[in-house]
Order: sequence, then C-alpha cells, then structure tokens
Amino acid sequence: MKKTSLYQKHVDLNAKMMDFAGFAMPIQYTSVKEEALAVRNKAGVFDVSHMGEFIVEGNDAIKFVDFLITNDFLNAPMHKAIYSPLCREDGTVIDDLIAYKIHHDRILICVNASNIEKDWKWISSQTDHFDITLNDRSDYYSLLALQGPESEKLLSKMGILKNPNLPYYSALEINFMNERIILARTGYTGEDGFEIFSSAKVATLIWDELLGLGVTPCGLASRDVLRLEVCYPLYGHELNDELTPLDSGLKWTVKMDKKDFLGKESLSVYSPKYRLIKLSLDRGIPRESYPVLDGNENPIGKVTSGTMSVTTGKGIALALVEKAKFPADKELFIEIRNKNYKANYHTKPFITGGHK
Amino acid sequence: MSNIPQDLKYTVEHEWTKMDGNIVTIGITDFAQGSLGDIVFVELPEVGRELNLNDAFGVVESIKSVSDLYSPLSGVVVEINEELTGAPELLNSGPYDSWMIKLKVSNNNELTNLLSPEQYKTHLENN
Repeated sequence: MKKTSLYQKHVDLNAKMMDFAGFAMPIQYTSVKEEALAVRNKAGVFDVSHMGEFIVEGNDAIKFVDFLITNDFLNAPMHKAIYSPLCREDGTVIDDLIAYKIHHDRILICVNASNIEKDWKWISSQTDHFDITLNDRSDYYSLLALQGPESEKLLSKMGILKNPNLPYYSALEINFMNERIILARTGYTGEDGFEIFSSAKVATLIWDELLGLGVTPCGLASRDVLRLEVCYPLYGHELNDELTPLDSGLKWTVKMDKKDFLGKESLSVYSPKYRLIKLSLDRGIPRESYPVLDGNENPIGKVTSGTMSVTTGKGIALALVEKAKFPADKELFIEIRNKNYKANYHTKPFITGGHK
Repeated sequence: MSNIPQDLKYTVEHEWTKMDGNIVTIGITDFAQGSLGDIVFVELPEVGRELNLNDAFGVVESIKSVSDLYSPLSGVVVEINEELTGAPELLNSGPYDSWMIKLKVSNNNELTNLLSPEQYKTHLENN
C-alpha cells in the first residue's frame, strides 16, 4: 500500500487508517462528528495527498484542457479553477476533476486517486495536434486541504496567503520556504478553504504549524459527510464509467456551445436515463445501494451515497433513479432492512456551505 | 485501554451480558462503542420477540457504518431500552449504563459460551 508523506503523523495521532485507492489514509482521528463540525464552524485540515496531479505545459495548454473536458476552460479567467467531468467520446464519465489555470502555458489538473492510471492513459492518448507536454506529478505533490471559515485568517497569519481577496475557485503559484507551491482556494466541503500543492517537506511543515495553531486534523470519513451535505458528487458513487454527466446532475458542466470537446457529439444527442436526486429521512439513515421506491412502493433506483448529516442531524442521501419512473408527485421511499421510510425530496443541497 | 467491568460476561462480538435470575440484560462494550465512533441510530426488536442464539436482534449505526447486533443467548425479549432510540449517543457516553434489551433466557446451557472479563480482555488483546 502507498503512503502519503504525512503517514507517520497520522499514525502518531492514532488515526484509524484504511486502504483508500491503494493508499493508507486516515479515516478519522477522534470523532467524525467533531471533525466535520470543526470544518463547518472553525477550520480543519485534510491530508489528501493521494489525489493525482497532472501538469500540462506549452503553447496549447489551455486549448488542450478545453478539448479534454466538458466544461468551458478556454474562456475562464486566468488563475481560475474549473470543475469538470472528463468524458470518453461516447459521453461516459472517466473521472471528474479540477483544472487550474495557473499560467497561460501551465495548467494543473487534479484528479481522483482511484482514477490516476485510467486518466493518465486517456489524457496522454489525446495529445496529438497539441503543442504541449504532459507530466504526471502525483508522486511529487503532497496536498493539504485546509477547510472552514477560519482558513483565510490562518493562512494569512502563516504568511502563505498574501492576498486575502484571492477569489473562491482560483489558484496562484507562489514562493514559500524557497519553493514554488500552488495555493488554490478550492475544496470539497462547501466551506471557504484552500488546497495547497507542495513538496512533502513543505506539506509537513504546514501540517505541523496548522495543528499547532489548533486546527483539527480531519479524516476521509468527515470529508465524505461534508461533501454529501452540500451534494458534491463522488466518482464511483454518483459518477462512473457507465453514466454520462447528464445522468448525474452535471448538465451545468457540459457546455454544448463550445466548439469541440471529447464526448460532445454523443452528449448532444443523448437523452439521460437517470436523474440524481437529493433525499432526507426524518428517521433512519440511508446508505449506499438501499432501494428507492415510488409512492406505490415500486423500485425506481438506488441510493448512491448516504450518511447521517452532522449538521442537520438527519439521514441524507443522493440517489440515482430512472428518469422515466420518477414520479411527478415526488412521493418517495427508501427501503431500509425491508422497511420503507418516507423520504423528503430536496431541490437544494441539504446545507449551504459558507464558501465565498 | 477499554473498560471491562468485572461483574459482567462478554461475547466475541463485543456485547456484555448481566444475569439476574433468568433475565439477561444485554448491551455493547466500551470497546465496541469506541470502534464504532459517534453512534447516531439504534434499532431494537419488539418486546415479545423470540430470539435464537446468534439471531440478529437489532442494528447500531455510527455516522459511517451499520452493524448488526447478534443475540448472545436464546430467549424472549421482555424489555427494550426505548431511551436509546431517541438518544443513541448514550451508548458512547455510558456503554455499560445504556443496556439495549432484556431477555428471558430459554436455554441455560448457552451461558457457558459467554466469556469472563479475563477471557474478553484476552480476546481484545489478540484482535
């Protein structure tokens, strides 16, 4: 199993460690609830060094990334971060990623740890006709995510964030400790926060300093609860090799008015089979793969992610249901251990994160 | 180190039992609550339900996990701790005060399967 540069720190903190995408990762340190609430109310730090980083450099860097992804990268302002699915020609989702416009000729792509190899194979097979070089820097970069309302103040204090007006979903390459690091105002929690791409050495220093300042170390379990509360999809759950972005509520990331991108032709004529919906329960906790039923108790789909929300105290879920079977009256049930629980249908995320 | 009271008997599934005549009180151990983390949901059986040894009688859920509860003995459910349904976190704060069910034991031979505090301690150390 692979280890991140902070592995020993996690072990020393007595974290519960688990294999995630081939990495020994901290799942929780003390309490999932305390960790998640620290991010909502103060600040928490995650070691997410397992994530993959590809660097695209060259004259066509922006054009190349724009061609790869379904979202608009070409017209995004300099330093902007763009969330997007990465699709095959048939429109199915290879991965979802964030592309950072660091410079006009230097783009960082951050991908899911579980998909690094698959993404690399795909992306490196698409470089013909583009003046670019592509590098997999996943082994070099450590990645810390500092998340929560106090993040800005903390990074300013540490001298990392020089311009507190750095907009949400943007990134800068900066000098820190005699090193070029990438400071991005992004995250996976819905709160304001930053992701810092750096060497192992700098990541260790920043980690220690943040913990010294009282920041809560947070594991992947709280990260999953936090992203689910704000309804961010997770690859392998809401997205996979068989679905298109249009099945998973990501129509807003597919820009059909773009000149060309991988998957455009198929997606332009595709009519989605599924609909991704948000459900909560007044009692009981929905879990992945629990059946979703209509008002007549006929199965129409399945929960893709479910948990107890630490913020609302209710069971919450994302579920994929067959579009054709979705009932107009929105009367829905989730089956838990052979009992049907009435589900509340939500049009908005369960909570509104505090990000800028 | 987990707390293992001397006056109780245990199972390898991390449940504790306390005998009082032919009534056994059942709960989960300090080790169990610690491994589960924040407990947010408890489902208990109906009073009157007959349980065989190792029948699933309920469920305890933390934020991220679902665990079945297995009956350490055969018997009839005579009482459940309804307070837990509304306040499952009591299992974290006081696992030995927060019992789950009481059974009227139907097969005394099964009592020999239960672990002494020393045996349970060894079980924890070996796992």
